[in-house]
Amino acid sequence: MSFVRQILAKTPQGVHWAKTVSNSSRCMSSVGSRDAPPIDVSQVIAQPEELERKRKLSGAITVPTKVDLSPISGVPEEHVKTRRVCIHLPPKNAMQSGTDNLNHWVIEFDNRERWENPLMGWTSTGDPLSNMEVTFGSKEEAIEHCERNGWRWFIDAEEKPKVERVKNYGLNFHWNRRTRTSTK
Amino acid sequence: MFRAPLTKVIQGRFGSPTHGITSKAIRSSAALSQTPAKAPEKIEVFVDDVSVKVLPGTTVLQACAVAGVEIPRFCYHERLSVAGNCRMCLVEVEKSPKPVAACAMPVMKGWRIKTNSEMTRKAREGVMEFLLMNHPLDCPICDQGGECDLQDQAMAFGSDRSRFTDINHTGKRAVEDKNFGPLVKGIMTRCIHCTRCVRFACEVAGVEDLGTTGRGNDMQIGTYVEKLFLSELSGNVIDLCPVGALTSKPYSFVARPWEIRKVSSIDVLDAVGSNIVVSTRTNEVLRIVPRENEDINEEWLADKSRFACDGLKRQRLVAPMVRMPNGELQAVEWEGALISVAKAIKDAKGAVAAIAGQLVDVESLVALKDLLNRNGGETLCTEQNFNVKGSGSDLRSNYVCNTTIADLEQADAVLLIGTNPRYEAPLINTRLRKSYINNEMDIASIGPKIDLSYNHQNLGEDAGLISQVCNGGHPFSKVLENAKKPAIVLGANVLERPDAAGIHTTVASYCKKLNKQGWNAFNVLQNNAGQTGALDVGYQPGTQAALKAQPKVLILLGADGGKVDREKLPKDCYVIYIGHHGDNGASIADAVLPGAAYTEKQAIYVNTEGRAQQTLAAVSPPGMAREDWKILRALSEILGTPLPYDNLDDLRNRIEDIAPHLVRFGKLESSTFGNLTEQLATSKSIENTKIDVKQKKLREYFMTDPISRASPTMARCVREVSGEEAKEESQRQAAC
Amino acid sequence: MAGREAVRKAVQQVRPILSVDREEARKRALNLYKAWYRQIPYIVMDYDIPKSVEECRAKLREEFERHRNVTDVRVVDMLVIKGQMELKETVEIWKQKGHIMRYWKESQDPKPTDFLSKFLQGVN
Repeated sequence: MSFVRQILAKTPQGVHWAKTVSNSSRCMSSVGSRDAPPIDVSQVIAQPEELERKRKLSGAITVPTKVDLSPISGVPEEHVKTRRVCIHLPPKNAMQSGTDNLNHWVIEFDNRERWENPLMGWTSTGDPLSNMEVTFGSKEEAIEHCERNGWRWFIDAEEKPKVERVKNYGLNFHWNRRTRTSTK
Repeated sequence: MFRAPLTKVIQGRFGSPTHGITSKAIRSSAALSQTPAKAPEKIEVFVDDVSVKVLPGTTVLQACAVAGVEIPRFCYHERLSVAGNCRMCLVEVEKSPKPVAACAMPVMKGWRIKTNSEMTRKAREGVMEFLLMNHPLDCPICDQGGECDLQDQAMAFGSDRSRFTDINHTGKRAVEDKNFGPLVKGIMTRCIHCTRCVRFACEVAGVEDLGTTGRGNDMQIGTYVEKLFLSELSGNVIDLCPVGALTSKPYSFVARPWEIRKVSSIDVLDAVGSNIVVSTRTNEVLRIVPRENEDINEEWLADKSRFACDGLKRQRLVAPMVRMPNGELQAVEWEGALISVAKAIKDAKGAVAAIAGQLVDVESLVALKDLLNRNGGETLCTEQNFNVKGSGSDLRSNYVCNTTIADLEQADAVLLIGTNPRYEAPLINTRLRKSYINNEMDIASIGPKIDLSYNHQNLGEDAGLISQVCNGGHPFSKVLENAKKPAIVLGANVLERPDAAGIHTTVASYCKKLNKQGWNAFNVLQNNAGQTGALDVGYQPGTQAALKAQPKVLILLGADGGKVDREKLPKDCYVIYIGHHGDNGASIADAVLPGAAYTEKQAIYVNTEGRAQQTLAAVSPPGMAREDWKILRALSEILGTPLPYDNLDDLRNRIEDIAPHLVRFGKLESSTFGNLTEQLATSKSIENTKIDVKQKKLREYFMTDPISRASPTMARCVREVSGEEAKEESQRQAAC
Repeated sequence: MAGREAVRKAVQQVRPILSVDREEARKRALNLYKAWYRQIPYIVMDYDIPKSVEECRAKLREEFERHRNVTDVRVVDMLVIKGQMELKETVEIWKQKGHIMRYWKESQDPKPTDFLSKFLQGVN
């Protein structure tokens, strides 16, 4: 139970919910509803400073909006400073008509050298980020991710409204227009 | 995989919740922006019980697309006419006894379309069963395998077992393969008769070579008689083919779609700036396919741009070279090459000139200009001439397509002067053809008689005709003046003539008369991808200035056009070539510095309408080759005048200082000052000589730049197409 | 280049990890530093590395100085946590000699930093 409380207490809304959960479970476990509420021993014996600290920890702190995770992300410095990230919408495959896997944004790193491995003929690269392709629901999410990791980024696509075309089967047989098809 | 009904998206079952919301927002905003000001009232239909409002006349398939439901299809293609013969798009409509073909049926008010009902599924399953009955089971050896519509749709909508039993062991239907030419491989047994290729050839390419013969089980796609499919756009039928019946010949059995990497880039082999996707594996460009861009190439790609990519692996300069006293070029280390080049530039004491070629990017142009200016040189020119004095290349509207490529398809009267858009810019020609078909456009040309793939009026070859038309004295002037959206297209080659200034001024002032509100009729059709960018950053057009200066050092930045040779230069002139192919430029150079081709660098190119776009590096430059601007930057440091940019971002900032429009990728800046042209121009005289175009026949189309000249595929095209053209010619003569 | 968006707000409110303010985070960092500093003689002895205590302390200082411009309290906390783990692994001899020597990167060739040498060597 204390574990549940600990997890739930992390969000302010969760605190309230935790209370109701613990209440209901207590109802089930205890025989009578008139029992005195159990006392949390750690709460009682805690020093006032300790309680104050707990209160503070459950609150919020002020940090700069611009988050830089590059010191703790574990990415080598040379791959933070020299890389350029392309944020784009995946292009539709010209060979196919499906479009379902295109409605998201992708980040991709600049291409570094690759070569054919003489052992198996597979592709080798010295670039740890060459296979990193992360998808995002929106451009803004992708930008934020790049900013947090300290990568330079650029956007290589724009969302254009789809052009609406008039498709008319009858045009194939129009009597005096050039849309009339001769061969079929 | 083919369907994501809006209901599902709203419920957020697809991807993250934000994903759902954004994609819905994209869709609804797209639907909103389609509404013109005085649109007819939209009608409401229900797709899987989700209400959508569409314009009357919209087909069921399009209405479903608005709702986010993708109907499976084979024959339907957005940019081709409706055929309605594959029957894959059958859907149930409530109260209709039979399923309807979604691609051809316009929606009616209040229709309830069911895209996932029992009837719909059964219809799809049945269609799929019939298709597969006559389709070979050779997916493992088929080049389309992995990116095949039939494969995917059979998985998604087909039955899980087959009732096809070859009871008499007669084998499946088999069709003889056909030879469509050096680019397209036809394995006609795989054909499912969607007729997309036939429609593409007739409607977009304007070559009525492909068609169907026979009917029912005997139906075949082919060229009627044995001949090649001669078109500069033939590669697009490979993309269009939903199965593996038409595949790429140079790419056959090369790679599978899951082992390649795709990088979005820009094509530079013509000045259209088509959007492409470069497919690579192990640092090698394997193929190039188009990428959709409504403003430029729609979703087509010209054959040269698509198939010349094997030229990127041949004739490459992979190490710096310096000419030895015995006249041989010898490969050296970068350090040695840069030092000897720097020494030559230092010794020239400012007598340095530079000529930029066909495929140069804006970055290297700017770096070269900065480098030369720091070393006392001022003479920077482009290889292609643009012989217009006065305002000339100072005003942007003088050398770009002001009408813009996308708007050319709205034009209703077009005059082509000394240009063959079919081969100089095939994708602009498709726009004109589109307008010819849909807008009843009138087209006339001044120049030699050429086949533009649509009917046009050839006014003659005389240059005098230009002034005649522009004075309003020619019958075609009336057509232009009465047109709502007239356009005049001047070929870049016309503007290399000695009297180019006269032609330019005459046409420009006539266009001023033709211009309407929001419509600029004046177009110059460039055919070099680097030209607009070079003029934008202030290069002088034409090599005369460089040759007249009699420089001690001449830098050729990818100048391979063969317009400069040793005879025209002073004897002791030290020629430096920076570029990627061993072509004309490298052969006359004293020092060769190997650069990167367009697939190997992130670089800006400006297309003929003045739209800046950037390529992305798909592979790394071969051997010791480096990105061009980096070579110039390194050289500047050895010269003791380091350029103030160490990385691409700094250089782009510098470019932004010079010309901010060059870093706004994909956007088009409207050219102003169009009116000034006439006041600044001096002469209007036109010499009465014949106007010529360089590429008249298809065989002249394939090899125009160092990359396509190095390409074996293009060489094969030239050989086979000239053979075919000679054959046709002799047949024609025999018939006479 | 697409420009970066202007920072809308300078600060934001977030949940803390360990420390509730910068002062506390600083104390944690200093404590970690001191703990390392005191352990270094033993580390040198236990691992038998060819470095003196002074060299190790210089390296320790360098590693801490590398992150001196970190202002985000949460990032400081994370760094402290990581440093603590590192310390524990070191002190408990869960590491080997090579892991310790890796701090000096002796086996790595230094990469060129100026444009010309990068160009000549062909590195990005």
